[in-house]
Amino acid sequence: MDIDQEAEENSRRVQVRFFTKLKPPLKVPATSIAIPSNLTRLGLSTVVNNLLEAGNPDWELEPFDFLIDGELVRMSLEKFLLAKGISAEKILEIEYIKAVAPRKEEEPSFHDDWVSAVDASSTRFIVTGCYDGLARLWNASGICTHILEGHSDGVASVGVINPEGAGAITVATASKDRTLRLWKVNIEEPIDNLIKTRAFKILRGHRGSVQSVAAQSSGEMVCSGSWDCTINLWRTNDGNDGDLTSVKKRKVNDQAEESQLEGEAVSTIVGHTQCVSSVVWPQRETIYSASWDHSVRRWDVETGKDLSAIFSGKVLSCIDVGGESSALIAAGGSDPILRIWDPRKPGTSAPVFQFSSHTSWVSACKWHKKSWFHLLSASYDGKVMLWDLRTAWPLAVIESHKDKVLCADWWKGDSVISGGADSKLCISSGIPVL
Amino acid sequence: MDFSGFSEEIYLSFAISILLLLLVLESPWSNSASWLPLDFCLPTLPERRPALMGDSEVEPGSGQHQKLCFLGGCSGESLSESEASQSGSSGDESNSYRALPTQRTMMAWTTVMVKKIKVMALNNEGVEESDSSEDEVAPRNTIGDVPLEWYKDETHIGYDLAGKKIKKKERQDKLDSFLASADDSKNWLKVYDEYNDEEVEVTRQELKLVRRLLKGKAPHADFDPYASYVDWFKWDDAKHPLSNAPEPKRRFIPSKWESKKVVKLVRAIRLGLIKFDKPKEEQRFYPLWGDDSSSAEKANHLAYIPAPKPKLPGHEESYNPSLEYIPTQEEINSYQLMYDEDRPKFIPKRYTSLRSIPAYDNGVKDVFERCLDLYLCPRVRKKRINIDPESLKPKLPSRKDLKPYPVTCYLEYKGHKDAVMSISVEASGQWIASGSLDGTVRIWEVETGRCLRVWDIGEAVKSVAWNPLNELPVLAVSAGRDVLLLNTGFGDDEEQKKIRELLRVETPQAPDDSDNKGPVVSWLQDDKHDGIRLRHFKTVSSVEWHRKGDYFSTVMPADILLPLSKKHTQRIPFKLHGLPVSAVFHPTRSIFFVSTKKNVRVYDLWQQKFIKKLETGLREVSCIAVHPGGDNVIVGSREGKLCWFDMDLSSQPYRILKCHPKDLTNVAFHRSYPLFASCSEDCTAYVFHGTVYSDLNQNPLIVPLEILRGHTSSNGRGESFSTPSSYSLCWHLISFFCYGVMDCKFHPRQPWLFTAGADSVIKLYCH
Repeated sequence: MDIDQEAEENSRRVQVRFFTKLKPPLKVPATSIAIPSNLTRLGLSTVVNNLLEAGNPDWELEPFDFLIDGELVRMSLEKFLLAKGISAEKILEIEYIKAVAPRKEEEPSFHDDWVSAVDASSTRFIVTGCYDGLARLWNASGICTHILEGHSDGVASVGVINPEGAGAITVATASKDRTLRLWKVNIEEPIDNLIKTRAFKILRGHRGSVQSVAAQSSGEMVCSGSWDCTINLWRTNDGNDGDLTSVKKRKVNDQAEESQLEGEAVSTIVGHTQCVSSVVWPQRETIYSASWDHSVRRWDVETGKDLSAIFSGKVLSCIDVGGESSALIAAGGSDPILRIWDPRKPGTSAPVFQFSSHTSWVSACKWHKKSWFHLLSASYDGKVMLWDLRTAWPLAVIESHKDKVLCADWWKGDSVISGGADSKLCISSGIPVL
Repeated sequence: MDFSGFSEEIYLSFAISILLLLLVLESPWSNSASWLPLDFCLPTLPERRPALMGDSEVEPGSGQHQKLCFLGGCSGESLSESEASQSGSSGDESNSYRALPTQRTMMAWTTVMVKKIKVMALNNEGVEESDSSEDEVAPRNTIGDVPLEWYKDETHIGYDLAGKKIKKKERQDKLDSFLASADDSKNWLKVYDEYNDEEVEVTRQELKLVRRLLKGKAPHADFDPYASYVDWFKWDDAKHPLSNAPEPKRRFIPSKWESKKVVKLVRAIRLGLIKFDKPKEEQRFYPLWGDDSSSAEKANHLAYIPAPKPKLPGHEESYNPSLEYIPTQEEINSYQLMYDEDRPKFIPKRYTSLRSIPAYDNGVKDVFERCLDLYLCPRVRKKRINIDPESLKPKLPSRKDLKPYPVTCYLEYKGHKDAVMSISVEASGQWIASGSLDGTVRIWEVETGRCLRVWDIGEAVKSVAWNPLNELPVLAVSAGRDVLLLNTGFGDDEEQKKIRELLRVETPQAPDDSDNKGPVVSWLQDDKHDGIRLRHFKTVSSVEWHRKGDYFSTVMPADILLPLSKKHTQRIPFKLHGLPVSAVFHPTRSIFFVSTKKNVRVYDLWQQKFIKKLETGLREVSCIAVHPGGDNVIVGSREGKLCWFDMDLSSQPYRILKCHPKDLTNVAFHRSYPLFASCSEDCTAYVFHGTVYSDLNQNPLIVPLEILRGHTSSNGRGESFSTPSSYSLCWHLISFFCYGVMDCKFHPRQPWLFTAGADSVIKLYCH
């Protein structure tokens, strides 16, 4: 009887060997062990934690995620092997990585109105745009340091032009009042109280609400997409060359005179037939744009011609380029599906990945800057989801918002920042992506 | 020519028949065939033999008969064969016939031939023609065709015509006979006739004949087979084209090919290759109680309709029915109160045995009445068409092929406190405006669902309409007796300046002109909302902009007005028959549609004349929408019906769709997609596909696509009236009649549908 039971148990065991690319304290001995085949991710994680604890008594528990043949294990090992047709006879090589999930929920930063835009490309601060027409700068400890005021309508998009620049940094904001504004903020100087800043340059030219702004990586130019179906390119410099049209002087509090430059678009890219809802400028020569006319287009900056177009069939409201060699296009829009295209794939415009765990419109999507696999998406259903291309299920669902999430971004490589219609800016930190 | 069908036999028989016929026709004795060996030409006439044998003389007709037979036999060889094979009994004869003549018969034949030739030569010399068979020298022996070995041991060889025995000749010594033959130089001309036991000498003439025959020539030297043809027919002066040609022979002989065919068929039938229809089997069992009308025999009669069968007795007619069939006394009493027609004819009762049942009084009467029924009531056969109802449904394209169309609701615009009566989408599709019974007008951002602006009008808003021009973001709002033109504040500074100029009235007119001669509308400056207030003398139910954005129309239950945005007002110069319900502009031409409660009237505004009337046939029209092409109109009604008018087709509805169980509140066409929608008080909105073809011969295609649910019937709406005020009561009365979905509008560029619910929520349905 006992022998039978044991034999049965043995038959359900698989020989595995754990390996990792993580640093030594997280490495387990490279011996193969037999584990029950009905273990799920949690069980595997426990096994690895036990192994680590055996070698290191003061080991703190750490959740892990497991990869077999480049795919994340999201069901019991038995089912996974069956589904993938992997033989259980051989020793199974299982790679483990740190589970990508937020470990900590920071205190939310409250705004006066809906948080419509966030940019966290700098590690030192966060820029947010708000429906009250103000853009705010938050330092790393979650304190509002600067308020950028000047827009007469809600800010739709913000972009940091030189995130790692020393001294003064430049921020571009796009607003529903049909203008873009450029701001110079000195974040180095110690701050004791809130500083209100005015824009040093106003970019006029759009004939509709400006929906999106993106800066060139060199910081010389920004591009913006608007409801007037065009993409405009603007210069960011404050010199007096070329595009400067007028200098408006105005008094600030009757004390100092401040000059405000006005700029005109360097060039206009026409091609979309409806609102250009999102633009990204990943390389010097190419701009990617997503539009309400259901297309994602790649533009050549020099000629202003579109190099390729992908049609999704749905209204697109967000786009990001990243992933494997920064070539994959992720876009979301008027349906709960986050789509990822590979433009290098010839002959097809079908998405290579479709993630459909949201229940409402996808409002934002962002690739992780360093990882090839990870991206986040925010949706009107109030959730921010972290995705890995190696599995169809979300890695983590962040449900800190009570209302629609309007914007989200990665910060410092290990945090997710999201702003929503509940006027909160939530920060989920401690995400070990790499 | 195809001779493949000819068998060798046929050739042979042909050759023989030709040869013999020649003989027969040529020679004067030809009519007699008795010289021919019987087993050669007359195989099936054994009964002739006794006559020949027994009778001392040959009957004159017998030869004729034989000749005919011979002719038939020669040309119709296959016929005789067919006869043979058919009869079967005479198979042996046919065999003997087939076989070649034996040695003996050959001999006999030769001798007979010699004799014949002799006679022929004789006749040739003397009488020219003689048909009589008496002239013929009959064979001495009359035994017929029997084997001579029967007479081997006898002294006689047979019998002569008188019946006397013919004695055998003395046998010559072999040596003597040899010597005699050696001596006699004419011995080679002598032939021994075994049959008659005599020697026959062939004369030179006969020898000639035989030689000619052997050569295959005509027996007579003076016969010219190649005589020149004498054309005996006078071709020239024939009055009638009738041919007097002699009947060809083929007319008298049975067709060989027919008989061949018959043989083929007979063989095929024997082998079972051809099958005949089986004789109809009489049905052994037939439904005794079946329906007579369905039987085939009855159907043969012209319009025979069988009498309906009388109802068969049931349980209650039993002599001892179960208790549940027995009516109680109360029931029996209640029968008395019934009408005669309704009263049951028969009241079940229980009897102990069948014997004790009393006679039925009404038996004769019942039969009589039935007879009367059968006789007086004409029976009519009802044509029941057996058609699959599914096949009658029109073939509609699959819904999958008609994508995109609004399906799911992802966004809700919440903020109103009472039923949303009207919505309007800005031309670019970035914002929508909504008017509600709570007295506010709101503008929402479509993308996020954020409320951007709120105006508190202070009166229940019936209708909002966004100016169709992009650069003129002005909102027309109807509330109570007023129509307000509101500046939405969108657009850049220049546009704002223009709008402000436009929305300024120089001389505010006081509405003191109460008499009818004065303007029905007074233009006032509204400072509170920074716009224009148009005060009408009656409540305004709807506002509609012209496509160019410089005119708009307002509808009052009493009249229709056309205010211009140049601060002029014009009442439409047409007589309406009935109260106007709603009005729309033609999307491309200067045509104006006004719907009254029953009909839709179409006017040309430019030429100021009435064009046509669309007869809806509906009880009460509630809404109207015009296809962006301009030639199709949909009209919704209070009874839940939707009429599609194709104005090129007729003034009658092209299609009437009865989808909603309750009143239709609004209908809408999509500007670019082939979609239209209707919303109703039953909390649903229906989305239809409606393609209009540019080909005039093709009717519009209408496919129902989707039912959009989600709005709730607003039961808890009374809470919003917690603050009592003077007019909230009358609002309450208005809102009392508001259920379900109050308005639906398509997004101008996306296949999305906005619905405004009486539950104070606006929903966006996306594809």
